[in-house]
Amino acid sequence: MDQKRLFAAIALSIGILLIFDTWNRANQPPPDPPAAAAQRPDAPAPAVAAAPGASPMQAEAQATALRRPAPRARFETPLMAGSINLRGARIDDLVLTTYRETLAPDSPSVRIFSPRDGQNPYFAQWGWTSADGRTLVPDGDTEWTAVTVGRLVPERPMTLRWDNGQGQIFEIIFSVDSQYMVTAEQRVRNGGGEAISVLPWVRIRREYTPPTAGFFILHEGFTGVLSGRLQEVTFSDARSEGARRAGTALEQETMGGWAGITDKYWLAAVMPVAPDQTLRTAYRHVNEGGGTAGDRWQVDMAAPEPLLVAPGATGTLGTRMFAGAKEVNLLNDYMARYGIAGFDKAIDFGWFYFLVKPFFLVLHWLAGLTGNFGVAILLLTVAIKAAFFPLANKAYQSMAKMKILAPKMQEIKERYKDDPQKAQQEMMALYRSEKVNPASGCLPILIQIPVFFALYKTLFVTIEMRHQPFFGWIQDLSAPDPTNLFNLFGLLPFDPMELSPFLHMPAWALIMGVTMWVQMRLNPTPPDPIQAKVFAWMPVIFTFMLASFPAGLIIYWAWNNTLSVAQQYYIMRHERAAAKAAKAPGNPK
Amino acid sequence: MNLAVAALKGCVHCYRYTLRGVIGANCRFYPSCSDYALEALSVHGAVRGTLMSAGRILRCNPWNPGGYDAVPGPQAPKG
Repeated sequence: MDQKRLFAAIALSIGILLIFDTWNRANQPPPDPPAAAAQRPDAPAPAVAAAPGASPMQAEAQATALRRPAPRARFETPLMAGSINLRGARIDDLVLTTYRETLAPDSPSVRIFSPRDGQNPYFAQWGWTSADGRTLVPDGDTEWTAVTVGRLVPERPMTLRWDNGQGQIFEIIFSVDSQYMVTAEQRVRNGGGEAISVLPWVRIRREYTPPTAGFFILHEGFTGVLSGRLQEVTFSDARSEGARRAGTALEQETMGGWAGITDKYWLAAVMPVAPDQTLRTAYRHVNEGGGTAGDRWQVDMAAPEPLLVAPGATGTLGTRMFAGAKEVNLLNDYMARYGIAGFDKAIDFGWFYFLVKPFFLVLHWLAGLTGNFGVAILLLTVAIKAAFFPLANKAYQSMAKMKILAPKMQEIKERYKDDPQKAQQEMMALYRSEKVNPASGCLPILIQIPVFFALYKTLFVTIEMRHQPFFGWIQDLSAPDPTNLFNLFGLLPFDPMELSPFLHMPAWALIMGVTMWVQMRLNPTPPDPIQAKVFAWMPVIFTFMLASFPAGLIIYWAWNNTLSVAQQYYIMRHERAAAKAAKAPGNPK
Repeated sequence: MNLAVAALKGCVHCYRYTLRGVIGANCRFYPSCSDYALEALSVHGAVRGTLMSAGRILRCNPWNPGGYDAVPGPQAPKG
C-alpha cells in the first residue's frame, strides 16, 4: 500500500512538472552560460579552423561596425526578398514576403536573416580555407565585385568575383528559383604557376538564441538528414556537447542529405547540389563573451578534402541554401525535384512519421476543400473517430445480452457482498461462460493512442494553421485563445496576464474542461480511491495545462471529447432500445 | 525486486494515475491488464513479465471472450 502511495505521489509530481513547464514558458530565465567560454582550436581539419573562426570573426565584426556600410546586391523571388552582402559574400538580409510577423495588416514580413551589425544576426556564407597555407583566400572582410548588373531573380544568376592578386580568381555564382532555394556554385580558377590546395565551404550561422517554445513534442535547433538519418540536436544539447568537444556538437561525412537550423515554422539549411556528393557536415556552438548574448550557432558543410587545383584548372563546389517556410508540399516538391534525401523531415513529424505525414496531407486537402482550417480539423477528427467506431460498437453489441444476465449478476453481487474482488472474479467467469463482455478491451485503446497522438502532433507543428481564423473570436488557430475569464472576457478593462502569466483562462479551455469532465463521468470509476481522486481533478488540471496552448489544439481536444461522449451516448441508447425490444411481450426474440 | 522490475512497475503505476484517467478503463479481464502486469513482473521478473503482459494486452480485444485470467505461478508447467 505504501508503494502505491509513493507511485501516486510520483505521478502527481510529474503532472505538476508538466503544468509548471507550460506556465513557465512565458517567462523563462536565460540559460546559464557554459562554464568556460570555448575557444576554437586552430589545429585539426581546415574546415574547423576557418568556418567557425571565433576570435578573428569577432574582431572583424567590431571593425565592420565602424566602417562604411557594405555594398549589397539585391535578390527577389515570388516568396522572398533580400540582399547579398558583398563584404564577406554572405546573405544576411532575407525576408519571406508572403508571411507576416503578426495578424496586423501593416505587420512586417517574417525575417529569417539579419546582418551582424543589427539585432539577431543570422546569415548564410560561402568561403574557402587555404589548405596549403600560402594561397590567399577571401575572408569575412573581402569585398566582392558583383559582375552581373541588376538584381538576382529567378532565371537570372548573379556572379560575384574576387581576384586575390596572386593568380587565383574566386567566383560564386548565385541563382534563385521561384520559391526559397538559393543555389551557389563556388569556383576557383588557378591562373598561377603552381597547384593550389583550397577547401570550399558553406555555413549557416546564427549569432543569437531564439526564444523557443521549449515543449518536448516540438524540435527547435539543429536538424538535418545526414547519411540517411535524421539528426536533431536541441540548442541546449548543442551547448553542452559543444562545451565538451571544443565547439563541435556533431560532425560527420555525409552523402547528399541536408543540415540546418530550424524554428517551429522556419528553416535555414544547406545541402550539396549533387545528391551523391559527399560533404563534411558539422553542428557547432561556441560562446563569445558569455551569457546567451554570446551564443554562436553554426551548421557548416565543407568538401571532405581540400581541392587540389592544377595551374590553369578550376575547382568547384555546388551547394544549395534553403531559407523559408516549412510547408509540407513545398518540401516534398524540393525533395523530388532536387533529390534531397529526407527533406520533408525538416518538419518535426516525430516517431509517428508514417501516421503524421498522411494526416498532414489529408488535413491540408480538407482545408483547401472547406476554406477553413478549423473546419478541416473537425472533419478529420470525425473521420478518424468513425474509423474506430466499429471497434467501440463491437463491444457494446453484447450489451443487450448482458441485460438478460442481470438476475444472475445480481445474485453474484448479493452472495459476495463483503468481497468485491471475489464478486468481480465470479462476474468475469460468468461473462466467459455466456460469451459476453461489456468492455472493448485494452488493445483497441492502445492502438488508438498513437493515432490520436499523431493527430495532435500534426496540429501542433503544421504551419498551415498559422494566422488562420476560426469562428467567433479566434483569429489565429496557432496562437492561444485571447479571451480570459479573469477579466470576465473583456468586461473588465485590464489584462490579467500583465499581472501574472498564470492568470489566463480562455473560453475554449473552459469548454474543453467541461467536455472532458462529461466524458470522464461516462467512464467507470476506478476501484482505487486515490486513483478516483486523481481522476476527478484531471479535467481541472488539463484545463489549466492547455490554457496557453494554440487555440486549434484546444478546439481539437474539446471536439474529440464531444465526439466520444456522443458515440457513447449513441451506443448506450441503441443498446437500451435493443434490450427493450427483447423484453417486450409477444416478441419472439 | 531488481531495478528493471521496479522501473517497469513504475511505468505501469504512472499509466494508472495519468493515461488511464484520460482514456478510461476498458479491460475485458479480471484481473485487469495493469494488475496482471504488476503481478507478472513480480512473479516472473522483467523480461518474462513484460512478454506476458504484452501477450495479455494482445489478448484483450473484442474477439476474445475475456473473463478471469490470472498470472500463472512460477512453477506453472511449460509447453
